[in-house]
Formats: sequence, C-alpha cells, structure tokens
Amino acid sequence: MTLDEIQAVFFQECEEGVAAAETALLALKAGDRDGETINTIFRAVHSIKGGAGAFAFAALQSFTHHFETLLDKVRDGELAVTPTLADLLMAAFDILVDHVAAAREGSTPPPDEAMVAALQDALAGDVAHAPASATGDGLSFDLAAMMADTLAVAEEASEWTLSFTPTREDLANGGEPLLLIREILSLGGRIERVDVSRLPTLDQFEADAAWLGWTIAIPGTVEESAICDVFDFVADPASVRLVRGEEDAGGASFDEPSSPIAPPAPVAPVATVAPPTMPSPSLATTPSAPSEPRAATTAPAMIRVDLEKLDRLVDLVGELVITQAMLSQRLSSHGMAAAEELADIDQLTRELQDSAMAIRAQPVKSVFSRVPRIVRELEASTGKRVMLEVEGEATELDKTVIERIGEPLTHLVRNCIDHGIELPADRVARGKPAEGRLRLAAEHKGSRIVISVSDDGAGIDRARVLAVAVERGIVAPDARLTDDEIDQLIFAPGFSTARTVSNISGRGVGMDVVRQNVQGLGGRISIQSMPGAGSTFALALPLTLAIVDGMIVRVADQTYIIPLTHVVESLRPETGAVQRTGFGTSVLNVRGAFLPVLSVAEQLHVRGGVTEPSEAVLIVVETENSGTAILMVDAIVDQRQVVIKSLETHYQQVDGVAGATILGDGHVALILDVEGIVALRGSMQWLKAS
Amino acid sequence: MSIQILTVDDSPSMRALLRAALTGEGYRVDEAEDGRSAMEWLASNRPALVITDINMPRLDGFGLIAEVRAQAQFNALPILVLTTESSPEKKARARAAGATGWIVKPFDPAKLAAAVRRVIH
Repeated sequence: MTLDEIQAVFFQECEEGVAAAETALLALKAGDRDGETINTIFRAVHSIKGGAGAFAFAALQSFTHHFETLLDKVRDGELAVTPTLADLLMAAFDILVDHVAAAREGSTPPPDEAMVAALQDALAGDVAHAPASATGDGLSFDLAAMMADTLAVAEEASEWTLSFTPTREDLANGGEPLLLIREILSLGGRIERVDVSRLPTLDQFEADAAWLGWTIAIPGTVEESAICDVFDFVADPASVRLVRGEEDAGGASFDEPSSPIAPPAPVAPVATVAPPTMPSPSLATTPSAPSEPRAATTAPAMIRVDLEKLDRLVDLVGELVITQAMLSQRLSSHGMAAAEELADIDQLTRELQDSAMAIRAQPVKSVFSRVPRIVRELEASTGKRVMLEVEGEATELDKTVIERIGEPLTHLVRNCIDHGIELPADRVARGKPAEGRLRLAAEHKGSRIVISVSDDGAGIDRARVLAVAVERGIVAPDARLTDDEIDQLIFAPGFSTARTVSNISGRGVGMDVVRQNVQGLGGRISIQSMPGAGSTFALALPLTLAIVDGMIVRVADQTYIIPLTHVVESLRPETGAVQRTGFGTSVLNVRGAFLPVLSVAEQLHVRGGVTEPSEAVLIVVETENSGTAILMVDAIVDQRQVVIKSLETHYQQVDGVAGATILGDGHVALILDVEGIVALRGSMQWLKAS
Repeated sequence: MSIQILTVDDSPSMRALLRAALTGEGYRVDEAEDGRSAMEWLASNRPALVITDINMPRLDGFGLIAEVRAQAQFNALPILVLTTESSPEKKARARAAGATGWIVKPFDPAKLAAAVRRVIH
C-alpha cells in the first residue's frame, strides 16, 4: 500500500468517524446523556487526531487535540453535559469537519482560534463564553496559550517542498536517483509533480543521461538534516532544492501540459540561492518566497475554424488511416502483425478519426429549426392544421450531411402535409382531431442516425399509386406487387400522384430526387404507411461520410468493398442448392426463405468471375428498401475500415458503385452500392415482366 | 538469497564493525583486506555493492575504484568509500575517481544502512 493509499484510508476513517460523531452529538443535543454517546464522539475525534499526527496534518492534529481534551473531561464525568456544552461540542464538531476537509483538499485550515479558546474555557468549567460561531469575538481566551499554539501550528504545518533534478553524473558510477526518491518517500514524502519537459525525442534519447525532475512534498515534521542526508551523494548541489512551504515550481509537468494555443503562464522563478559558506552536506536551501499568483490560463470555450482547414484535417486523418492500413499490411507480411504498438496505433488512429469527425458534427437542430416556418406557410396555403412535434434536436451529424439533408427533409415535410394530412373537415369526418400531427425526430441507431418524419394523415393511397404507376408505364398492368413494393413506387423517377400539381410538392422534384439525395449521402430512406393512420418516412444516415467498415471481396481480377452494415452472413452453397428461376434470376433457400442470388460480376459487367454458385462465396445482404438478397463473389479477402473517396468527384457516378477507396497495398477498390445493386435487380424484374 | 556486499579494509576491527552493521540489516558480507585481494575476489564474484576504505596497502581505494570501473561489467556497480574526512574536496575526489557515495568514519549503523539503501535496490 502506498502512502497515498493509506492516506485515502485515513480520510475514509475520518468520514466514518465524523458521521458517527454527528449522530451521537445530535442525540446528545436531544438530551441523550448515555456514556456511550460521549464515548462515540471521543473515539471519533481521538482516531482522527491519531491519523492527523501520522500524516502530519498539523492544524487538524492541533484542533483535535483541544477537542479531545475537553471530550475526555466530559467522558470522565468531570464536566456535566449542559445544553450550552452540547451546543459548544456541536459547534466544535462543525469546525472539525472543516478541518478534515481542509486536510483532504490541502487547503487552508479553517480559523479555529476562537473555538480553541472556547474549548479551553469550557475545560476550565466556564462554558458561558461559547462562541456563537467559529469566528465569534472570543475575547476572553488566553492569548499567550493561543499564540503559542498557533506558532507551533505554523511551524509544523509548513511542508518541505523538494525539487530534485538529477544530472548525468548522478546516474554514473552505479548511482540510482530512484533509490533516493524511494528513501525520501520512506520519510513520508509524496511526489507532487514529475517534470518531463527535458525528455528529448527518441532519436536523441540517451539511456545513461537523466531527463526527469521531481517535486516532492515532505511533511514539515521531517528534519532538514534527514532530507539533506539522502542527497549526500548527489553530484551537483544545484540539482536539489529544498524550501519550506509551497513552491511555484517552474517547468512543464504532467498535470500542466503546455498548450500550443495558450502559452504557459509565466512562472515566478525561484532563484537557487547558495549560502555564502556551503554547509555540508551541501544543499542549497532558499526561504519560501511568497509565490506570485499564476496568470490565469483562461482559454476561450469556442474557437472559430475555417471549414477548409477542418476538411483538410479530416482529409489528412483519412490519409493517415490508409497509410496505417498500408503499414499494418507491410508489417504483417514480415510476420509482425501481432506487434503491440501496431494495435495501439490502430486504436489511436481510430480515435483520432472519431475525434476529427466529432469536430465536424453538428446538432440537427439547424435543419429542424427551418421546419416550423415551412409548416406555418403550408398551413396558410392549404387550410390544413398541423401541430409539429420535434424530438432529438441535439442529435449530432456530420456537417456535410446536415447541409445536404435540408432539402430532402423539407421535401418530406411538404409531402406529409400536402399528401398525408387531411383537411380539418375530412379529419373530423374520419373521427380524428381536426389538427393533424407532424412528428420530426432524430435518434442514434447503431452506426447510423435515423431522422424520421411522421404524420397521422391518410397514409399512402396504394390503389392510386399503383394505378398511376401502371399509367406511366413504371410497372406492368398485370404485375402483382406487395404493399411495400407499391409504397416504394413513389420513389420511382417521374412519379407524382398529386391530383393537382400544387405549388408545394409539384415543383418537378419528386420523391425520386429525395431518395437520390439521401443515397448520395450513403443513407437509406424507408416508408411505413398505414391507410388512414398515417405514414413515416425514415432517413437512415451515416454518422460520417468519410469512412465505412467494409468486407473486401474479389470478383474475377477485381477487388470490391461491401459495406459491412449490409452484410448479414456469408455462405458456400452446395452444388445445386442455388436454383434458377424465370427471368434469368437465381434463388437460394436460406433457412426456409428464398433469397435472390445476384452475381456481382454480372451486375457490374465484369468478365471472368466465377459463374458456378457452388464454387463461389455467397454473401447475404440486407437492404433498407429491397429486402434481403445474396451477392455472389469469388472470394472474401479481408475485412477492414476503408476511407471513402467519391467517384463522382474524380470520375462520374456509376450504377452499383457507391465510391472507391485505396487499399493498404495501394490498389484502388470500388465500394459496392448494395442498395443500388439489389434495387436494380428488383426494377429489372418488373421491367422484364413487362 | 540475501544481497551480497564486499567490504574492503585493512583494519580487521573496521571490517568486523561493517560486518556487524550490515549483517544486522540482513545483507551477506564478504571481506577483502586490500584493493588487490578485492580485485581477485571480484574476478569471480558479482556483489551488489562494494564498500572500500581509502588508505590500504598494495592497492588503495582510489586504485581499486579505477580498476573496477575499467571493467565494463562493473560500470553500474555501486561503490561506497569509507572516509574519515567529510570535506567537500575529499568527496569531490571520491566522485571523480568513480565512487557512488561515501560513508564517514566512525559510522553510525543507521546511517550506514541508509547510505546502503540509497545505492542498492
């Protein structure tokens, strides 16, 4: 157990003692005159005094001594417990509590002269002068006794502050500064600070040189000669400095790292004053100079940063992630994949990335705050009445996502009010409140943020949607679609069911554009609709646009990334397990469900991939809008976090591809747009049916 | 196994005093009567500490320290010198010669123990 740990145990004892004493004092005050009650108070104060002595809390020790002396008399029955005495004991107890707190926090002990005097008066049988408060004007105390006492306290209370900065010589000839520190700690010293400011960079580090400095507090009761003796062998007397009391030590230390933004506050230098005749053992001691107050380093709570700089940082962190991956690959090819430092760097890189992303994060409030006005405008122009509920405004999202989510969100809100919520008269006729309800919510769901827009309106008129879709040639007249599939139709390009093209929804921007925008952000949109009860549009958005956890797969000679969020499982089918159906599609029975099997090679028009399912690897993927499907690839190569590079910025948008990344070996790999690939197959099926 | 210390002094009484004080602290003590025999003993032993007198026949304390430090294996071997004088000049000389620290004769067992604690783990 270290001294600090023992000290912690002591303060715990203090707490228990204080609690017990308080209970007993309250009983005493209430008229309890049981001997055990007084005993409890006495024992508590006594043990606090004992510990205070051991740990050199002089002020606490001195006060508990006076308190204890009086309690001892009361315990022995020499002093009768009167209500006045009980009040005095209670007041003394309050000061004791302050003393314990001061010792624990290392702060200035509370003023207790008046109380000490009152305790002494009470000891003499005179409790009439008990002060009302600790700072009361106790003029009737024994001044001489008090002076002697406070002087003793002052002398004892003042701790030694030792600073020790070994030099290279102290490490030579078998010297070991650590042993000196061990010796000082055995005298009751405790390390306050370790100065690491002189530590050089690794390439300049020399093992036989001394780089650290220690600041150690030593109880004032330890004799100066005992401390000096420890440093008898130290080569340079200037490397040891001993002063009474607090010292404003200069130099950087662990608890006060210098910040590049706020320069370290100027520190009052403590001169090493060498006495004219160097005493032996030679140790430079200085009188404790009143330390200059440190200039407060009040850093502003906020700083404005040019967005470009921030993006540059995020970009660089992205590059770092890639380089780290490359390094890891290079090292593992040399059999060093298990290097502990590698795992550390991996962890740090991820944390750095998260932190960088967090800087870009903003609450969705900035987008949500636009909605009330839109709702008011729509209320005015449509004659509908809408009550808006907003939830999760504080949810944070990447700034880019925030910026680009505004328009789709506005559109969804307009859509809900325009198509969803009915006119007040219609609502009342259907037994609903005249005022429609529109709910806007944002919440964290796993690695995504889900923003939902719900209304309690009419829901999607599926018969009408289907009729329009057939009319516009989007689906074949004889196509049999599930409710969900019909709901999805409103995202079909050029689809609009507004009976009259209102100036709200009918701006040529349909739900297809909303979906494109959301998908462009790596998000997914889904609908839940109940006829007569309303609809909910949910936007599942990535926390960040820059990174994705991906499964690295091979198809022919190409490498692709499947975002892990889509992956459910991977399997190897037995021969003949994958069955061909009509329209050139295949299905596999996975635990009772027939899932469509899509060859990635076929979807992306890559030649040379495995065509026989039994020789391929099948990956079951889940999509937001198109259900579960299976992607067929040649092999799974790896699984890792990849940085997304936009393909559109550098080339152009490609169907079935969400972006690109640079792998650890420097190769470029395309990130599959699983949602798009599976949806593509879905629409193809309908088209083929026609 | 207890910690091994080599004491080097030509005075049997001083060696006995050292032995009594050090064994009392739980150390194992080996003795040599001068620097030369200490070097011979060191050829086949690795003590945790050497405590040596300065004035000795054949090879004195400074000579012993110089020969010990000349061997790479003894780079970090702590050496305490026994000195009757505690003048800064004497200490500086001992340090310059390669001593880790010193013990002023006549020594107090407690101070000896403290000095030993400050140089060996």
